[in-house]
Amino acid sequence: MIIVVSLFIGRYPLSFSEVFTALGFKLGLVQEPVPSTHLNVVWDVRLSRAILGTLVGASLAVSGASFQGMFRNPLVSANILGVTSGAGFGAALAIILFDGQTLFIYLFAFGFGLIAVVLSYLIGTTYKATPTVMLVLGGVVVSSIFSALISLLKYIADPFNQLPSIVFWLMGSLASARFSDTLIAAIPMSIGVVGLLLMRWRLNVLSLGDIEARALGLNVFVAKSLAIFFATLATAGAVCVSGIIGWVGLVIPHIGRMLVGNNNEALIPVTISLGAGYLVIVDNIARTLTGSEIPLGILTSLIGGPFFIYLIRRTKARGW
Amino acid sequence: MGIINVSNATFSYGEENIFENIDLEINPGEVFCLFGPNGCGKSTLILCMMGVLALTDGQITLGNRNVRGMKPPEVARIAAYIPQSHEKPFPYKAIDIVLMGRTAHTSTFSPPTPTDRRIAEEAMEKVGIIQFRDRPYTQLSGGETQLVLVARALAQQTPILIMDEPTAHLDFRNELNFLEAIVKLVKDSSLTIVMATHFPNHAFYFEGTGIKSGLALMNNKSITIKGNPVEVLTEENMENVFNIKSKLISYTWKDETLKQIVPLETF
Repeated sequence: MIIVVSLFIGRYPLSFSEVFTALGFKLGLVQEPVPSTHLNVVWDVRLSRAILGTLVGASLAVSGASFQGMFRNPLVSANILGVTSGAGFGAALAIILFDGQTLFIYLFAFGFGLIAVVLSYLIGTTYKATPTVMLVLGGVVVSSIFSALISLLKYIADPFNQLPSIVFWLMGSLASARFSDTLIAAIPMSIGVVGLLLMRWRLNVLSLGDIEARALGLNVFVAKSLAIFFATLATAGAVCVSGIIGWVGLVIPHIGRMLVGNNNEALIPVTISLGAGYLVIVDNIARTLTGSEIPLGILTSLIGGPFFIYLIRRTKARGW
Repeated sequence: MGIINVSNATFSYGEENIFENIDLEINPGEVFCLFGPNGCGKSTLILCMMGVLALTDGQITLGNRNVRGMKPPEVARIAAYIPQSHEKPFPYKAIDIVLMGRTAHTSTFSPPTPTDRRIAEEAMEKVGIIQFRDRPYTQLSGGETQLVLVARALAQQTPILIMDEPTAHLDFRNELNFLEAIVKLVKDSSLTIVMATHFPNHAFYFEGTGIKSGLALMNNKSITIKGNPVEVLTEENMENVFNIKSKLISYTWKDETLKQIVPLETF
């Protein structure tokens, strides 16, 4: 629904019928030629952006909900494990080393995202039985190291070509969306989202803590690694294509908890749809509010931060 | 051959032995109390029985298989575990918690089936807490929470139930209520129960209800004495293990002669 609506919204003035004709032509339903600008606007820009927004929103939200469940901490998200900054560093490195070739940006962002999680996990498992707090601390350390490395890269980057593209990409935007890009990025995000969706009941068991989960018959190490892998895949995929978009992974799961409670069986699907809808709406606002586009990451933070304070105040009395 | 056999078991963290050279044989259909002062290694021994921790030396068998070589779901289909205290990370409904007892019976990527849900509901009925089905279990009292965990263990459908000081945080009535629930289960479904406790009279209580009950006294990193409650819970043993003077008393209740051991003073 939201996707359909966003097809009609945009800076380039198109009438309803023009949008329909363009769509119909692409699908082979309409024979008479359509102006190529209309085609571009509807198909490449609006539709692929909406699809990308759906995927990115779903990925960020579901990975946040999963991390909250498995680390038994309602205040963590993908950022906590350093996934976001790790992937950010990888992509920035690729922009500098390989002049921004798409493939390398993807590979590097994903690779460093994974490295960041593994590092956090290793720091977290220094003590036996992987206490949650150590893992979170490990993530904070790794995250700040990668942030520093990103600053270093910005400092040495070529200020005329590379620096602007790194800075804009890091601010978070869906503006890069083209149909081919969307397809590539869709693979890791879809695998991650579907994987977590299938594991959602196990996330409940994981949230009881290592000893109880194990006594209930869960192979905790395998289940946790799988969940972390899927969540990282989804997050890294999202960061690759849209930069660092904050707060979605923290705020959306909490709205989900208010709506359907904490059982991940219901929460995970709801979080996926909410995240997808939210990001597409915010993106529509981002590209129509002012003449030049506002980076999406800035908007989600501006909306998410205050909204989160409101959430905390509202739920304070009732727990989560 | 017992359903649980512990032979020559030693466990150490680094240099220090938590317990050493423990031998135990727990028979099917028995309520076995593991009794000892705080910090004597009861909880560690229990985690070793569940395969959560690995022995440094010796071996433990669960239903004739070495627990060391068993995968978590295999252990969880033989023995269920009720922890001493249970942290409540999220306000799940009581039924959701009980349903988690079905983990070992479902595969990685599939949610519980309607059959699993039915089994979970039956377990709650058996324990008498079906009225809490849809309540957030964070709102339940300590005693009610323990019963939810018992229902979860029942949903696991195991022949063995292992409990680590399950009544430690319960008040007088809830403690008795919990013990009654356990007695009913043992009588109805011939479960084998291992229970760590620091209340010696739990063993007398079980014996008084006519259940086969065994007891081991754990102290100074090993089992000091084991047998039935009358053999183990003597005034002399209390003196040696706890350094207390105590009195073994008998009383009559419903035409049965029951026993209790009463602590009198330290020395």
